[in-house]
Amino acid sequence: MQRLRFPRLPPGLVPAPAPPALLRTPGVLFGRREFVKGIGAVLLALALPFTRLRRVYAAARGRFFTADELATLEALCERILPADGDPGARDLGAASYIERLLTAFDRPVPLIFAGGPFSNRNPFPDNSTGTPSDKRPRDAFRRFIRLTGAQRLRWQAELLGSNQVPGAAFNDAAAGGPLPGLRQMYRDGLRVIDTAARNMAGAAYAALPSDQQDAILTTLDRTVFTPDARRGMSFVDVLIQHTLEGCFSLPEYGGNRDGRGWALLGLEGDDQPLGYSIFSRATDGYDERPDHPMSTPNPDELAGARALSPDGERIQQSIMTLATAVSKFFGE
Amino acid sequence: MATDDLLGNRALRHFDVCIIGSGAGGGTAAYVLTRDDARQNVLVLEAGPNPFPGLDRHPPAPLPFPLHGNDELKYAVRGYIQQDPFLEPRSFRIDDTSDAKLAGDVNGLPKAVGGAFQHADCKTPRFNAVDFRLKTAMDALIAANPGLLVKGFNDEPANFSDWPFTYDDLEPFYAEAEMLYGVQGQAGDNVFESRRSSTYPMAPGVPMYFALRLADGARRVTLPGYGPLSPHTYPAAINSRFYGDRPPCVDCGLCSGFGCPNNSKGSPAVTTLRHALLSGRCQLRFNATAVRLLNDGGHVSAVEYVDGVGRRQQATAGAFILAASAIESARLCLLSPTPGGAALGNSSGQLGQNLMFHLQTTVSGFLPERVHGERGRAVTHGISDFRGVAPGGEEIRLFATDAGQRVALGGICEFSASQGLPITEDGDIYAFQLPGPLGARMGLPLKNVLRDQALGQHLFGLVMQAEDAPQRTNRVDLDPRYVDVHGLPVSRVTYKSHAYELETRKFYLPIMKQIVQQAGAKGFTVDGDTVYALVRPRDALLGLAPSSRHIMGTLRMGPDQASSVVTPAGRFHDVDNLYACDGSVFPTSSGYNPTLTIIAVALKIAHGIVGT
Repeated sequence: MQRLRFPRLPPGLVPAPAPPALLRTPGVLFGRREFVKGIGAVLLALALPFTRLRRVYAAARGRFFTADELATLEALCERILPADGDPGARDLGAASYIERLLTAFDRPVPLIFAGGPFSNRNPFPDNSTGTPSDKRPRDAFRRFIRLTGAQRLRWQAELLGSNQVPGAAFNDAAAGGPLPGLRQMYRDGLRVIDTAARNMAGAAYAALPSDQQDAILTTLDRTVFTPDARRGMSFVDVLIQHTLEGCFSLPEYGGNRDGRGWALLGLEGDDQPLGYSIFSRATDGYDERPDHPMSTPNPDELAGARALSPDGERIQQSIMTLATAVSKFFGE
Repeated sequence: MATDDLLGNRALRHFDVCIIGSGAGGGTAAYVLTRDDARQNVLVLEAGPNPFPGLDRHPPAPLPFPLHGNDELKYAVRGYIQQDPFLEPRSFRIDDTSDAKLAGDVNGLPKAVGGAFQHADCKTPRFNAVDFRLKTAMDALIAANPGLLVKGFNDEPANFSDWPFTYDDLEPFYAEAEMLYGVQGQAGDNVFESRRSSTYPMAPGVPMYFALRLADGARRVTLPGYGPLSPHTYPAAINSRFYGDRPPCVDCGLCSGFGCPNNSKGSPAVTTLRHALLSGRCQLRFNATAVRLLNDGGHVSAVEYVDGVGRRQQATAGAFILAASAIESARLCLLSPTPGGAALGNSSGQLGQNLMFHLQTTVSGFLPERVHGERGRAVTHGISDFRGVAPGGEEIRLFATDAGQRVALGGICEFSASQGLPITEDGDIYAFQLPGPLGARMGLPLKNVLRDQALGQHLFGLVMQAEDAPQRTNRVDLDPRYVDVHGLPVSRVTYKSHAYELETRKFYLPIMKQIVQQAGAKGFTVDGDTVYALVRPRDALLGLAPSSRHIMGTLRMGPDQASSVVTPAGRFHDVDNLYACDGSVFPTSSGYNPTLTIIAVALKIAHGIVGT
């Protein structure tokens, strides 16, 4: 199947709508002068050396982040996917997922590709009857796959930067610079966020109320933090991407605690080896799982579609509006 | 470490044939050449890693499970078996006057034992009979209908040519391919399918809900002048029962873009390649990237490759078969200069040219009910009406329009929906792709739309795989600036759509929208990446490289040395022991998923090499 993608639009095709009224800018929150001062301090902070002692202490614990960095990171992830009635990024372990990625090479087999074929979250099918059996596979996902030389080079470059890994800088000059390493991006990014918090609101980022945390993150996003040439992503882009990964990838990668990220979405997650249709030798055909049908609507929608949240309605509307503009533009 | 990168018979030292690539083309050729009726000793070089440990274990040991799993991160984010866009990037531009930018993934295919087909949802329609003589048929149609203007033919001519053999010549190999790879399907279900000599090995599996909705919608829509559309089940090399030593598919959902954890997808590794490995006549070296063919201009003596620990090695054989996929097979020739300095095998001047991708057009709508696309085989139904041929696939159709008669050779449409991938489909679109306040970058808005799966559970539609015209200017050559991890120039892809496919797209687009509306959608959206590439400022092209994953042309097959690269038997016109048997040899691209035709052509070429 062609993955459904939304087109990236030609610049200037769609006029940017006014920001929603609810979005409070830090200018309002802290006063314009403090805000400008804050940004200046942030830029200054980029040049400051960092305490090495805490770094050594973290490494000694087998961790990447210091306790303060981890607190900032957890607070940031939580702002990207906050808890409400359902768990948020903190409950789901997004920060520990990120730390696991950044320290992937601390183990004999780097934690990059989980093994296969099955976890033990689902049973094998019983093909004589077309029902789930009571036999479960062992969890092969826990045993990560040994990297090839090329994969090792590639993922070390990802984490440390292409100019820090022998043999990885082959396109650095032609492509306009090295691939920035994720470890340094996190070090710098967390420092900038925390410095901004202390300058703009007088406390560590993790200690601020959530509306001030939101305001700081939104302000620095796409102003102080801009995409680099090579990865095409800013620190906040990386943070959002990794938060999503930490909430919804296999629990074996260190996040999505107990599969609660999937539960939040109403997905079963990895569903092998049972799957959704079970072949029965008795009938020489397939039986579907009544609670998770494949060829018919979900049981809870037989009487009518489940309502979306206002945000869900809005996003579908956004896409239809964009599509109309695009179609008009191309005369289609 | 490198000594462990082996499968099959480790003791073999002398090889009759060396095959470069272990996918649909190479795996198939290895199977034919190592059979008891051919008895060739074969070396297969595979650039990627091996997700199938123990694949060469002899029966009664069962076919082992692979390292594949239902794991969005491993495949869709970290590219476990994908050609890595950092280590082996490509550059892309739309024409010679623009600057090629490092684009990472330009229609990249998986690199691993078993090739790219393991990563697909294994859809296997055949081409139509008329596809093999399209140039002749179109010229005759134009001659019989004065005033008929056809873009790519008598208007803005492209480089169309007939195949050097007919559908009837290839039909027995289609039948063999369907049997070898285990194709499910229903003969007669698709009225546009050409003559078949056999039924499908297996019946279609369970249909997907949204596909049935779209099929209903399609039956309510009319093709101008030809009545209602004819939806059909989609043939696929996926088991719908126990077949060979592989189990039935469980419809786990992570199908397109993922390796199959239980081996129910009939990919090359677990079918033809395994047969070859168990024959005792095949040795497969993986993590072995071919970088140069040593040659005297008319004969290849050895292939140089880089092994898993970065050492340069050489392998000799009597003959060599390129099966690394159209872009990589052509690149290897370009990286292999003759003593005179020219690229190997390029006496026609067309090596690397006539590159074809299919023009994909996606029309999607929002279904109010959840589509639950996470259950199923990604695509279970489609329509072939938009190929623009008459039932039976022998004749080109004429359409009467206000502007007079016209033809419209598009392609098969797949009924599709999101596979329920929260990170790379839903999350990526909300947080990154939708501009500014139209999206949901973070916070409760992001959480709410994720929880709704406003796209992932509601977006459904169809994708047309339309034939794109072969053009000499659409090509692969060596980039002058960027290199891969081995320090070799990367493939530079130059590709621009022709009016042939763009006008066809315009013709079918309104009908595609009707299908989605009739299926119950409350609105729709059109994906037009390829079209944007034509109008966007050149410096904004990064990231807009084609991603159809259907790659054909570059080593065109034909009888004439002046206008084709390989003979009808698949041998290079000008290199006496070098063959190609992947999508590179296709003279035209038709409008159907190409893999079954790649397999059938590989069967025909390989059987021809050994006379079986």
